Amino acid sequence: MSIQYKSIAELKTMLNNNEISNAELIKETFSLVKSNAEINAFITLNDEESINKANKLDDCPSSGSLAGIPIAQKDLFCTKDLKTTCGSNMLSNFIPPYSATVVKNLENAGCISIGKTNMDEFAMGSSNETSFYGKVQNPWGKNLVPGGSSGGAAAAVAAGIVPAASGTDTGGSIRQPASLCGVTGIKPTYGRISRWGMIAFASSLDQAGPIARTAEDCATLLNEMCSHDEKDTTSLNEDIPDFTENLNSPINGLKIGIVKEFDLSKLDNEVVKVFEESKKHYESLGAEFIEISLPNISLSVPTYYVVAPAECSSNLSRFDGVKFGKRCESPKNLEELYIKTRSEGFGDEVKRRILIGSYVLSAGFYDAYYKKAQQVRRLIKNDFDSAFKSVDIIMSPTTRGPAFEVGSKGDDPIQMYLEDLFTIPANLAGLPAMSIPNGIIDNKPIGLQLIGNFLDESRLLQAAHNFQISTDWHLKTPTGIKS
Amino acid sequence: MSWETVIGLEIHVQLSTDSKLFSGGSTSFGAEPNTHVDLIDLGLPGVLPVANRGAFHKAIRFGLATNAKINQTSTFDRKNYFYPDLPKGYQITQMALPIVGKGSIKIEVDGEEKIINITRAHLEEDAGKSIHDLFDGETGVDLNRAGTPLLEIVSEPEIANAREAVAYFKAIRQIVTFLDICDGNMAQGSMRCDVNVSVKKSDDTELGTRAEIKNINSFKFIEKAINFEIDRQIRILESGDSVVQETRLYDSVKNETRSMRSKEEANDYRYFPCPDLLPVVISDNELKEIKDNLPELPDEKEKRYVEELNLDLSEAKIIASSKTMASMFEGACAKTNDSKLVANWLVGDISALLNKENIDIDESNLTSDNFAKLIERISDKTISGKIAKSVLEEIWETSNDVDEIIESKGLVQIQDESLLETIAQTVIDNNPSQVDAFKGGKDKLFGFFVGQVMKETQGKANPQSVNKILKRLLS
Amino acid sequence: MDKKTVSTIAYLSRLSLNEQNEDKITKDLENIIKFVDQLNTANTENIEPLASPLEKTAKTRSDNVSAKNRKEVFLERSPKSNEDYFLVPRVVE
Repeated sequence: MSIQYKSIAELKTMLNNNEISNAELIKETFSLVKSNAEINAFITLNDEESINKANKLDDCPSSGSLAGIPIAQKDLFCTKDLKTTCGSNMLSNFIPPYSATVVKNLENAGCISIGKTNMDEFAMGSSNETSFYGKVQNPWGKNLVPGGSSGGAAAAVAAGIVPAASGTDTGGSIRQPASLCGVTGIKPTYGRISRWGMIAFASSLDQAGPIARTAEDCATLLNEMCSHDEKDTTSLNEDIPDFTENLNSPINGLKIGIVKEFDLSKLDNEVVKVFEESKKHYESLGAEFIEISLPNISLSVPTYYVVAPAECSSNLSRFDGVKFGKRCESPKNLEELYIKTRSEGFGDEVKRRILIGSYVLSAGFYDAYYKKAQQVRRLIKNDFDSAFKSVDIIMSPTTRGPAFEVGSKGDDPIQMYLEDLFTIPANLAGLPAMSIPNGIIDNKPIGLQLIGNFLDESRLLQAAHNFQISTDWHLKTPTGIKS
Repeated sequence: MSWETVIGLEIHVQLSTDSKLFSGGSTSFGAEPNTHVDLIDLGLPGVLPVANRGAFHKAIRFGLATNAKINQTSTFDRKNYFYPDLPKGYQITQMALPIVGKGSIKIEVDGEEKIINITRAHLEEDAGKSIHDLFDGETGVDLNRAGTPLLEIVSEPEIANAREAVAYFKAIRQIVTFLDICDGNMAQGSMRCDVNVSVKKSDDTELGTRAEIKNINSFKFIEKAINFEIDRQIRILESGDSVVQETRLYDSVKNETRSMRSKEEANDYRYFPCPDLLPVVISDNELKEIKDNLPELPDEKEKRYVEELNLDLSEAKIIASSKTMASMFEGACAKTNDSKLVANWLVGDISALLNKENIDIDESNLTSDNFAKLIERISDKTISGKIAKSVLEEIWETSNDVDEIIESKGLVQIQDESLLETIAQTVIDNNPSQVDAFKGGKDKLFGFFVGQVMKETQGKANPQSVNKILKRLLS
Repeated sequence: MDKKTVSTIAYLSRLSLNEQNEDKITKDLENIIKFVDQLNTANTENIEPLASPLEKTAKTRSDNVSAKNRKEVFLERSPKSNEDYFLVPRVVE
């Protein structure tokens, strides 16, 4: 029986019913990797260890909630003794001596990390075109981008190679690729998942999260991924609910906010149509729509493009050719060591962001840019706080349209930045947000974004699950609706 | 119209915590290179800092002892620059909201007291060490020190000359050692200072351009560097040129300061709040506990020694000025009721030995335990004061234990009065002419008899008993 | 954005600009800065900057040594080292 496109829930059933052994499951997974090699979803494969683990599980079954489930880990998470590159030349030889907490959490639940997924370099990008290890193909079309920065992760799930993958989201890097690839992904509240071992891009925005085929699977994964970690003082110490508990509760009376300032008339008719149909569907499920105002939301993208580059310009200073990672050939002196190593090791987008970051933090510009952006960020957060007094969740399209063609954003970085228009605000405010497939346009999937209040992932997952049990968008695959 | 000097000191004090400011790496000195480096100290991708509460407590002690404002909420910032021993490419420091705010300290120069105000004291992590001379054409980097907590103490520019600067540095050293927040070991780099020097004409209201002399770690060099720099700046200004604002290094061999080779642009540190560290809050209870448990400071000790232990002010000052000497004093006082005796030894013989060798008491071979034992043996009359002097000299050279020295050299005092009487009588019998002369009125000859008894007993006779016996026998 | 500013920023970031990329990067930076200038339209008087989306204060650790000696592990991952030190080209102060 083919495992392609199966969800975690389905694979668990198959394993429990002995329809497939752990070893067979892993072997077939690697077959699928091979037969989908042109997608280029993976940078490193962990075949030997995965097969060993699977064999062990067959001998000695485990009761972990993810026992035997193959999962792809984004190459931004440190994995002990397994190469971790962040999609960059700078770390092309980096073997971490430790594993990220989130990877450990998933593995403790029994999952098998089959490999590290391709991504935009250092998580900077929305199309997986900036990776040193080549572009990732969207399984829905050879020429289409899968989105980014978790492009490889979303593509691996969309192609049915794995039922789930770990991703990270700083400005939309889980939700946007999930939307463009027709899969489900959630970025929880900032601080839910430990950032220990997650190579930092923008520390006050980065958050890990799962990408899977269903909201239900996302909930299962979230249960394992979330933890309070003493090693990350920004990790929350709040109770972690069982995210699978209330999925099936009906959503009558759910108040859904529509953001006035997200002027949807600027989007293609097709996109608006898909969104309106989803709204209608939610109404049929008993939800109520209320218009809300987030007056400062139009400043989200400029705010993000000050704060994120500022933090990343500092976070990436550690890559200097001295202690780990690449070093340039025979530097004559210290200056050359730094300048040559970093200029050779980083791609153009990373360099651009470092330069912007250094600029907005430099003497004379700090108040005008960085401090200003931090102030606007507070205004945006305050807007959300007010809005959530009258609504339970907020809804919007995840992206401005379905997957675009490789290279179509041209030379202007700002065009690419505007792709994250709908997703960035949730990162600035630290709020949970997810994307679920809700339509197909020209045989390209598109997603619906749900944004929740602080710590309210359960409500998002519930709303998403209710949608998914009454529609079949999430069941569509590039090769037709799966059986 | 004369020149006036304006000096400010930034003193970096290595806090004596067990672990580093943001990681569980050990801070102990002298380990093999790169063996006290935690993942966090190395700045590996994906690591995160966690602040050490003990470092905060030590910083707060300093604030309390200098009557400073304590910022119960303080934050961390990143200072960005590239250097091989700065693993993350930034230093985590406290720029915007330091743990300790404005305070002050009293200094004394030539008997005159002056208050120097302290602008702030903040926590920051130390960098590693770059070793330039060991490897052919290369510099070696040892990250053991990276992440060690530093308290950077910034003075107001109120110091007027090199002697005041040294007095200020000494006063800070005294306070941090007494507070038990730093071991004060200059040779090991536990305290280092950067000096900002500028000159101006005395009727100028504006300050002159300053130069910063970095990383000086000895009293002597501070004084020399400042004096050289003052001269240098005056010469420049008198010739009509202007002083360049720059960083300089002091060369102790040539006794000069020279400009550090670094580009101007490198000085933009692009400070911003560290997003990995949330604000640290010290509760009122915590603050109270630190206050209640603050170690006794020199001033307080001095007062107590004078009022409760009958010391002279001058004695008290000497003993209270050094943490080691003060604790030696207090340790030995526990072994005897005679605090004056203990003081005399410290202020007298021991200070003389220290001055002769030009060392601090921490650098001598005399330990607190050994000194206490010496006092005990004098108090219980095992040895006489005179013999004790020779024991002290032995300890000074060899650091051997007091009891071992007494035993191996057979120095136990002779207390047996009947034995002493016998010896005294023998001396008297052997020296009839001196006896006659003494009885005839030459009182000074008493010392002769004492001396003879001492000679017979190799100095081990209990002097008081000898005096008593001879007085009786010669009367 | 003038050439001096760009080259200063590049130096601060230890990145090199060459003839090929200097113009493009300068133009990109100009455009991005122009784009973010929109922030000036917001009224932020008396607004406290937001450094972290979490409204909480730091958890700290007690002063304990918990790290073990990982010298070999670290040095073997470094681009250049001998058995004790990380090595870089000689630094002249």
